[in-house]
Amino acid sequence: MQKQSIRQRLRTRFRAWINRRIPPSRVVTLDQKRIFIFPSRVGFFFGFCLLIMLIAAINYQNNMSYALTFLLATLFIIATLHTFANLSGLTIRALRAQPAFPGQQSKFDVLIERGKRRDHFALYMTWPDSTDALVSLVEEDRVQVQLHTAVGKRGWYSPGRLLLESTYPLGLLRCWTWIDLDLYALVYPQPLASAQLPGLATDKPDGAAVPVTGSDDFYGFRDYRRGDSLRQIHWKGLAKGQGLQSKQYAAYADRSVWLDWDMFPGLGIEQRLSHLCYWALEFEGRNEEYGLRLPGVVIEPGMGEKHRDRVLKELALYGQGDKRQ
Amino acid sequence: MKPQQQVPRNALVWMIICLFTLMAPHAARIPLWILAIYVFSAVWRMLVYSGRWSFPGRRVKILLTLSGFAGIYLSYGSLIGLEPTVALLLTAFALKLIELTSRKDAYVLLFLGYFICITEFLFTQDLLIVLYSLLNVLLITTALVALHQPGEHQFNRKTIRLAGIMLLQAMPLMVVLFFMFPRIGPLWAVPAKSQTAKTGMSDFMKPGDVSRLSQSADVAFRVQFDGEIPAPSQMYWRGLVFSTLQEGAWRSLRYYDVPVAERRPQEVLTSGEPLNYSIIMEPTQQNWLYSLRYAQAEHLGVMAAADFSLFLLVPLEDQYRYNVSSWPEALLETALSDWRRKTELQLPAQDNPQTRQLAQELRRGVASDGDFVKAVLNKFNTEPYIYTLQPEALPGEHPMDQFLFRTRRGFCEHYAYAFVVMMRAGGVPARVVAGYQGGEVNPVNKTVIVHQFDAHAWAEVWLAGQGWVRVDPTAAVSPERIEWGLEQALAGEGSFLENSPLSPLRYRSIAWVNLLRLRYDALTYRWQTWVVGFNSEQQFQLLQNVFGEISARKFAAVLLGSWALVLIPVAISLLRKRATHQLSTLDKQYLIFCSRLAGVGIDREPGETPDQLAHRARQAMPALAARIDQITSLHGDLAYREKAGSPELETDLLRQFKKVVAGFRPRKGQ
Repeated sequence: MQKQSIRQRLRTRFRAWINRRIPPSRVVTLDQKRIFIFPSRVGFFFGFCLLIMLIAAINYQNNMSYALTFLLATLFIIATLHTFANLSGLTIRALRAQPAFPGQQSKFDVLIERGKRRDHFALYMTWPDSTDALVSLVEEDRVQVQLHTAVGKRGWYSPGRLLLESTYPLGLLRCWTWIDLDLYALVYPQPLASAQLPGLATDKPDGAAVPVTGSDDFYGFRDYRRGDSLRQIHWKGLAKGQGLQSKQYAAYADRSVWLDWDMFPGLGIEQRLSHLCYWALEFEGRNEEYGLRLPGVVIEPGMGEKHRDRVLKELALYGQGDKRQ
Repeated sequence: MKPQQQVPRNALVWMIICLFTLMAPHAARIPLWILAIYVFSAVWRMLVYSGRWSFPGRRVKILLTLSGFAGIYLSYGSLIGLEPTVALLLTAFALKLIELTSRKDAYVLLFLGYFICITEFLFTQDLLIVLYSLLNVLLITTALVALHQPGEHQFNRKTIRLAGIMLLQAMPLMVVLFFMFPRIGPLWAVPAKSQTAKTGMSDFMKPGDVSRLSQSADVAFRVQFDGEIPAPSQMYWRGLVFSTLQEGAWRSLRYYDVPVAERRPQEVLTSGEPLNYSIIMEPTQQNWLYSLRYAQAEHLGVMAAADFSLFLLVPLEDQYRYNVSSWPEALLETALSDWRRKTELQLPAQDNPQTRQLAQELRRGVASDGDFVKAVLNKFNTEPYIYTLQPEALPGEHPMDQFLFRTRRGFCEHYAYAFVVMMRAGGVPARVVAGYQGGEVNPVNKTVIVHQFDAHAWAEVWLAGQGWVRVDPTAAVSPERIEWGLEQALAGEGSFLENSPLSPLRYRSIAWVNLLRLRYDALTYRWQTWVVGFNSEQQFQLLQNVFGEISARKFAAVLLGSWALVLIPVAISLLRKRATHQLSTLDKQYLIFCSRLAGVGIDREPGETPDQLAHRARQAMPALAARIDQITSLHGDLAYREKAGSPELETDLLRQFKKVVAGFRPRKGQ
């Protein structure tokens, strides 16, 4: 117990220290302050080999062995500068994080670019629980890296600090940085199906029919326009010599379905949000307009990707504020 | 496997190159089957790479390892000792390649490679070998760099360039460490070279031995005199003194055969200034040293024998440098002990009856021992005795009878042998001395180079009142040998270095070849003195010369100072590289245009294309619309079109672009 708490405390202190040293930022350019360097495991093994070589030189009183041992030892030291230079001057930009449902993988896009024309090799990148990537900047000045990681609970998901490390050119030294790119993935509520949306009669359309392609209900004909699907073409009419016409279908889009917080009385917050999320996706899939009413939030009915994202975002962040942490 | 752990193809190619370049200098020293393993491993690994073969299984690996051990045991008769150890390392190095799958294996392989470089130095520290090893280090380092360049499948020059730059940057600090690191004695005894052939004079001498040695053009040792170099005819480098004749071979007295009282050399009265010189001997795997008589060497480990020769307690495994003072005129052992007289007169009971008889007759015909010596030399001089590198073999029990009365053709050891036998038969204490005579003076650095073909055997006789006196019967037969050296003495025969057609020594008559050879030899001498032979004494002297009084603080300051002196410029060069942006002329010019626009309040926004920017600029400054359009379209032509026809046309357009940009001076409110 005591140990645990000491470790915990150390971790907190370390986090505080690194937050001071490398504060969160969407764009980070690596410099002396942000880069750490230390001999790698291979480096320690190399040091051990050097020790054996030195002992051989001493025991055989062999000057050339001394010289080679010293050459390799100084090479080790020179390598420090080269390893450092491999990270130094790189700029890492947070691009975007794909929203995801709990348990799904979110995709994080990060752009890594070099300041000047200098080759950077074998840059290893990973978030604590993400997939990893190994990139080099040789021909290109910038490379976009995609890392996937499974997200957790509803709200903003932070992947933690991005580890960027390299042992180039000799593998004897490990040079790394932990940067907080201030990049968060939005995690939607877990959709939860319910048999019916309470208080809504789906079979009684009200409102005007609006032609919507891809729907089922036939609505009428109009002249063919470029871009209409071949399936829409009124072939029979064409055969009768009526010219090229497209069939029009309609959906009752303007039914103003409201997804309301109060539709699920007696349920907990998360459950309500999960149900609402399910229905939002459902209506979006049916190409029906839907609005959202949460305490303090009203989104007028609409549809389409943007609308859906807005609705899902409100659901994801309900009760959490926009405070990313 | 993580992408980090993969071995890129170019790294593999570099490793296979290393494999062979590292093995090459060892090739003459290892059994042939190890060479076969190298080819086998490389082929196997390449087949694995191309997917036509697979990595060895566990059992195959164990089998290969065991057979490696067994093979070395069978080849060397032991697993202990320097040569078997090196052979083991080399075998392991080759076999490791077959099972190289991840980067971890590659590190082991490459670090082993550095180690193999060191083992080469335990055999030779020759300048050329050192330069070659430097190349090896470069190749290993290149492989190490290539290992960290994933996706670089092209075999590219940048990799070796970086490795080279890093090694060059490491060089100055290496030199500082080399000269400043304290040289301490061995920490424990290490396996010695057990298989290396002994070179130079051997510890016994039969007729034909010295002439065989004289076929070699190798260097035996180099001498640097403090003062003037004595005449070649005076340079008799004493090595071994042979006092007993057994079964037709001359040998030194064994240590335990000498009575305790006789084991130390007699006191020698020295007067006048000695000849001071230092000798660097090539390794011989034997323990005697060469010097001019009468020599004293105040060196740790150098001992003086009762016959006034110098020796070491351990065989000479590496180049060895020692300083000697010699008094050539000093009288040696003016009072001969009874035991010594008896020993130096002894001859095997029955052999060479004719020779003995002749000697006794000659002795009877003269008054003194001195005259007896002259009479024998006179016989060699006047009768048709021939000095040759190709003497006939002397079979039978009485070799000197055959030589003196039948063949009459011999090399120095024949004449020395015959002479000493005759002296002893005539009652004069005498012995054979083996060593080198003469040497080549290098005009470049005034060293004397003594080659194996300068090997020589002569005699010492003991005369009352004079002690041991050097007598060279060869001089009576072939004075040229003593005055001018072997090549001149054999000019008629043409047998000088007959079996080494490529030795540069054969081409001494071609001036530039000779100069090149002598210059290289001078370089070798300097290399041996200052680098290979650098020891704690020299270190102390050097540090004292450079820093005056040595103190810990000064030592640390110099070390740290030199580190800073090297590391700071390297760091700056690396960081500065980061700070200079290589913009093309086109981009530079376009940025000038942008900054002029910014000057009138039209900032280029992030992601804005030149066309969009031009559009805004045109609207803000309709007066300059034509200029703006011209610049934008020229920029577009130069940047995005395929090369504008020909290079000439492109430079032309670029010049035009420059001019237009230079003339673009927007002002606010235009």
